[in-house]
Amino acid sequence: MSDFIHNLLRLRRGPWEMVASVLIALGVAMLMQPFAITLYTYSFITTLIGTVMFIIVSHFPE
Amino acid sequence: MMKNTPIEKIASATPDNVARHIRGLSDRSIAWIFVAPTIFLLLAINIFPLIWTVWLSFTNSRVNRPNRDVDWVGLRNYERILTDSDIWNTMQATAHFLIWTIVLQVLIGFMLAFLINKKFKGNDLWTTIIVFPMMLSPAVVGNFWTFLYQPQIGLFNYVIAFFTGADPASFSMIGDVHLAPWAIVIADTWMWTPFVMLICLAGLRSIPGSIYEAAECDRASKWRQFWTITVPMVLPFLMLAVLFRGIENFKMFDLVVQLTGGGPGNTTTLTSIDLKREAFEKWRTGYSSAYAVILFVTVFGLASIYVKALNKVKER
Amino acid sequence: MSFSVTEPNKGTKWFAGVLVVGYALVTIAPLLWIIATGFKSPADSIAYPPKVVFEPSMEGYVNLFTERTRATEDMLEAAGEPETWYEEIARDQGTVISGPSRYGERFLNSVVIGFGSTALCMILGTAAAYAFSRFRVPLKDDLLFFILSTRMMPPIAVAIPIFLMFRNLGLNDTHLGMILLYTGVNLSLSVWLLKGFIDEIPIEYEEAALIDGYTRFQAFYKVVLPQAATGIASTAIFCLIFAWNEYAFAVLLTSGTAQTAPPFIPTIIGVGGKDWPAVAAGATIFLVPVMVFTILLRKHLLRGITFGAVRK
Repeated sequence: MSDFIHNLLRLRRGPWEMVASVLIALGVAMLMQPFAITLYTYSFITTLIGTVMFIIVSHFPE
Repeated sequence: MMKNTPIEKIASATPDNVARHIRGLSDRSIAWIFVAPTIFLLLAINIFPLIWTVWLSFTNSRVNRPNRDVDWVGLRNYERILTDSDIWNTMQATAHFLIWTIVLQVLIGFMLAFLINKKFKGNDLWTTIIVFPMMLSPAVVGNFWTFLYQPQIGLFNYVIAFFTGADPASFSMIGDVHLAPWAIVIADTWMWTPFVMLICLAGLRSIPGSIYEAAECDRASKWRQFWTITVPMVLPFLMLAVLFRGIENFKMFDLVVQLTGGGPGNTTTLTSIDLKREAFEKWRTGYSSAYAVILFVTVFGLASIYVKALNKVKER
Repeated sequence: MSFSVTEPNKGTKWFAGVLVVGYALVTIAPLLWIIATGFKSPADSIAYPPKVVFEPSMEGYVNLFTERTRATEDMLEAAGEPETWYEEIARDQGTVISGPSRYGERFLNSVVIGFGSTALCMILGTAAAYAFSRFRVPLKDDLLFFILSTRMMPPIAVAIPIFLMFRNLGLNDTHLGMILLYTGVNLSLSVWLLKGFIDEIPIEYEEAALIDGYTRFQAFYKVVLPQAATGIASTAIFCLIFAWNEYAFAVLLTSGTAQTAPPFIPTIIGVGGKDWPAVAAGATIFLVPVMVFTILLRKHLLRGITFGAVRK
């Protein structure tokens, strides 16, 4: 776990891609969940942030 | 960096009289000549339209009224879509379709792959037969499934009735509000289980036999071997299959539109079908462009995770 | 035979075999049903209980390829004796053939657009794949991801601007427009697959050719292309199948001259309701070539469906 945070701070690709992936997955889940329309409303922005982040962090060094 | 590839090493070590024979264009320009047409076509067919869509999504354009002024409306289209409970319902219908097709396809597909991997006689032949549905045109297949789903005369209803004793005319898979979402799940599962099966089979075949032999020496039970060796080793492949089916079914159009047309009511209106209605029946171009951008970004996000999974499998 | 723990025993094999064959039979049943329905008479096709044994009839195929008009007794008398076997079938239904149907045209459109886009796709794809495989292209990974992601896009979402663009260029409902569009859609697949195939060809062959005085171009088409022939062939079949099966773009962007078979087949209707044998006949003719190709492709199926990631 501390490795994860350490690499996050050093702007390494692995953990950041993980964070971005989780954001995208969260956004997709919010888009299609049947529980609260508020979550649906904010799903797009979540996915968008995750996707843009993924594109950026995939250029970080390994 | 420059001298890394063998060709470049050879080129630098080649004496001048040989080098004169290696004339023509430099590698760099050849690379560009080879790549440029592809990139150009993709820019024209994919990227330019994409940018156009994004621009349209901020306007109230309607292409069926060319004389009307097109106004810039900012984020209003997005606001309306993301607070519209009908579209939210569409997303839920898509989620139902997505989740159940993936669950069924993974379960059946993995089981089949596991059995085929027992290498019984003639497994190649049967694998090819099982693969057929996946290669066929979804629209034509969807159209024909409506025939199989006919009450009374349909083969599907007849078989169900034969095993349950119900009256085959008493239920209509595509006419009933409760059954229609399952009708599309069944047809899609029939069609795409082989896909998951093939990928799982590749995963199973990539496991070296020596690992099982070692486990056998340690007296690990078959059950334990299955959970500690087979499943973890196949998991990256399964991940790939799930993501790919997820993306494909998120944008599902042809099979379902032919099967149910989105009905009855809106019970099987998946996002692509809904989008088609907005864009090509109601002609709300600006609004549907915003809708399209939302689907784009979602698919793009999932695709980047997919490529990550792809590279993971490639390393194996 | 030496004992091996990884080799399943006979009983397991039997058990697995029976289950898989059982599944295969269930999964193939709807396909066989389509083919069988094509050879049924309309009455047999909607019989209850569904008929497994029936008297074969060519009515479905005749109805598929012809336009017919209902004729009265007098008209049938006046038309004289039927001259061909298909006219005889039409007469038996109390109709006369008034001309060919549009199915032939639509099928031909599918062939032209399918082969046209495949050819273009292979030319562009092979060149790009070779460059990606052998040269250092700037931003290579980003370009490859970009190429792949173009294929993931939902077709309906792409269709909105394509529709506008084609309308402005006069490409709506033309063969050229559809060929370009399908090439664009399939290029990603062909680049990714071919790159995989070319990666597998040892680079030493080309190096030897270069030292022998070949130019890069010569090395490409005299050494690499023949080596990659199997890969190119199977990639081509994949592109062909995808173009052949495509429905969403076809239904939105074509209506008449360039319409392919998939949007057309569901619209086949007979006199007084859906003519299922004719639909089934149309589907059979359309689907059987794909099944043949699937058998040819079986060794490379996995590569094709995973963009070359899984090699097996």
